[in-house]
Amino acid sequence: MRLWQTLQRAGRPFIGLVLVFLLGLILSPRDSSGMLIFLTAGNLSDILLQQAEIGLIALAMTFVIIGAGIDLSVGSVLAASASRAAVLLVRWTPELPLALHLAIAILGGLGVGAAVGALNGVVITRLGLQPFVMTLATMIGVRGATRWFTDNTNIDFGFGAAASSRFAAILSDKSLVITLWVVFAVIAHLVLTRTVYGRYLRAIGENERAAAYTGLPIRAVRIAAYTACGALAALAGLIHAARTHQGNPNDGVAYELDAIAAVVIGGTALAGGRGTIIGTVTGTIILGLLTNTLRLRMVDSNVELMIKAAIIILAVWLQRRDRAFPVSP
Amino acid sequence: MKSLLSFLLLAATLGLLTGCNPGATSDSPRYTVVFSQCNNAEPYRAAQNELMTRLWREQRDVQLVIMDAQQDSAKQIAQIETAIRTKPHLLIVAPNERAPLTDVMRRAMAAGIPTICLERDIAEPHYTTWIRADNREIGRLAGEFIVQQLTAKHGEPRGRIVELAGLKGVEAEINRKGGAHDVWEKYPKIEVVTEAVANWLQSTAKDRMTEILSAVPSIDVVYARNDPMAMGAYLAAREKGREKEMIFVGIDGLPGDAGGIAKVKEGMLAATFVYPLCVDRAVEIGNRILREPGFQPEKVYTMTSRLITKESLDAP
Repeated sequence: MRLWQTLQRAGRPFIGLVLVFLLGLILSPRDSSGMLIFLTAGNLSDILLQQAEIGLIALAMTFVIIGAGIDLSVGSVLAASASRAAVLLVRWTPELPLALHLAIAILGGLGVGAAVGALNGVVITRLGLQPFVMTLATMIGVRGATRWFTDNTNIDFGFGAAASSRFAAILSDKSLVITLWVVFAVIAHLVLTRTVYGRYLRAIGENERAAAYTGLPIRAVRIAAYTACGALAALAGLIHAARTHQGNPNDGVAYELDAIAAVVIGGTALAGGRGTIIGTVTGTIILGLLTNTLRLRMVDSNVELMIKAAIIILAVWLQRRDRAFPVSP
Repeated sequence: MKSLLSFLLLAATLGLLTGCNPGATSDSPRYTVVFSQCNNAEPYRAAQNELMTRLWREQRDVQLVIMDAQQDSAKQIAQIETAIRTKPHLLIVAPNERAPLTDVMRRAMAAGIPTICLERDIAEPHYTTWIRADNREIGRLAGEFIVQQLTAKHGEPRGRIVELAGLKGVEAEINRKGGAHDVWEKYPKIEVVTEAVANWLQSTAKDRMTEILSAVPSIDVVYARNDPMAMGAYLAAREKGREKEMIFVGIDGLPGDAGGIAKVKEGMLAATFVYPLCVDRAVEIGNRILREPGFQPEKVYTMTSRLITKESLDAP
């Protein structure tokens, strides 16, 4: 019964996915042998690769939003993690085996993200700041700190045999990046649907006061969600650094909005309490398919933004209608 | 039902949009040229786009598509990745940054697409040819011009300079700065008071300059690495009534009302150095790549610059 409800809830964005995919087929140009370019394995995997950063962030963003929060700092965290890793890889030259050096750089990046996420969570739950305000503050502050630590320069990885080039080669690998996204999506889905933590999170997002009377560990649950969000944004930052072959303190601007858009298109309610990982992944892919379809047709990139906007409105409108006619139990 | 309705709406919108696209016309042109532009919002880039569009239009069998990466390297990589899938006959890339674009241009070359690197370079030479402008030389010319102006003002090469930098890590920024500093090294009394990063943008430059004017009591020269930043600095100084205290030197020298040449004519900028658009040569070489099967372009073409001052404009 639970499964049926989950599917039903996830169903709407899933239909959207099918429709957008059909649209991609219809509008796709053909290559010289008459094959639809949209449908080639290379193109479809390009889409997953290009959406993986936003996709990873959106997973944890789903948790935060289900818990009736929001995290605006993820774009800045992405840049902080990318720059931290770049500093550790390029400016720091320890006498260490390569694998250890790489591990330290990766942990350094993830650590920055988890720390910012935990800070968000602690301040929001302990000091009672609104999530929007607190994460707006860290969005600004972390951006500033990152620019300050790097002297506002981007740090090139170079193309030699150095640790940085190895890092870039490993973490920009298409299959690895896509696998990471899939693995974390499965984990997130299981945590949300099969664990006590997931149930608590939804209960808190649905009705915080009721959750408090029931004695749920509200603070711990929320702090965990924000920490996970910071850590996943940091992971996206590592991939971003590898893919762009540098750490750039100015990257990741407005990524939080793309992630939130993916979550919203996926049917998660911004008010909290309700949402699925399947929906979020679907939402992320819908955005990727649309972008790709338009780029294959060489449509102006500003038109891309307008259509994205239309999709967001359409998706939320569908959700609203969903509420007016609730599914009977 | 609702889904179907929304799909139809979406399909109709997209159909309309893509229907307007020249790619959808029935008599498809023989050649497709994709120009990946790093940021349409800069005037220099807009001038490039305009000339590029005009020159390619003269070739009736060529369809030009310009993709705007909006100063986002990750976006430019993604756009080129998708362009590679459509196998254009020629790819022209004005890279947003050196390192990020290197690998994707290698992949374009590996896919057999002739690739022209326009103006800026990338970290490794993964291009058929690179049409470049010599920023080091422009930096040196600007440095020497500033030394002359300071000598004329103070009777000796001495003075206080404020620098406004473009995007860090970009070849143009490194060499426009480096060239000038090569010159100034020899003059110990020439002092760079401060350098602010304004990412090539007039609005950012104006903000940075406003801060600098509050902190720095006397300034002789503002050396901005492009004209819009020089204009931003000029506007900030004028707001504080200090525009006569210093001179403003820019680079790019674009034509048109908003371009640097007009600003020199109006006396706002003391000088600008023409930074070649590189587009005319790119179209010329690109055309030969498309039409002459055995054509082997040189690896690098260097375009030359020109000093623009009020005197040079008044001269017949």
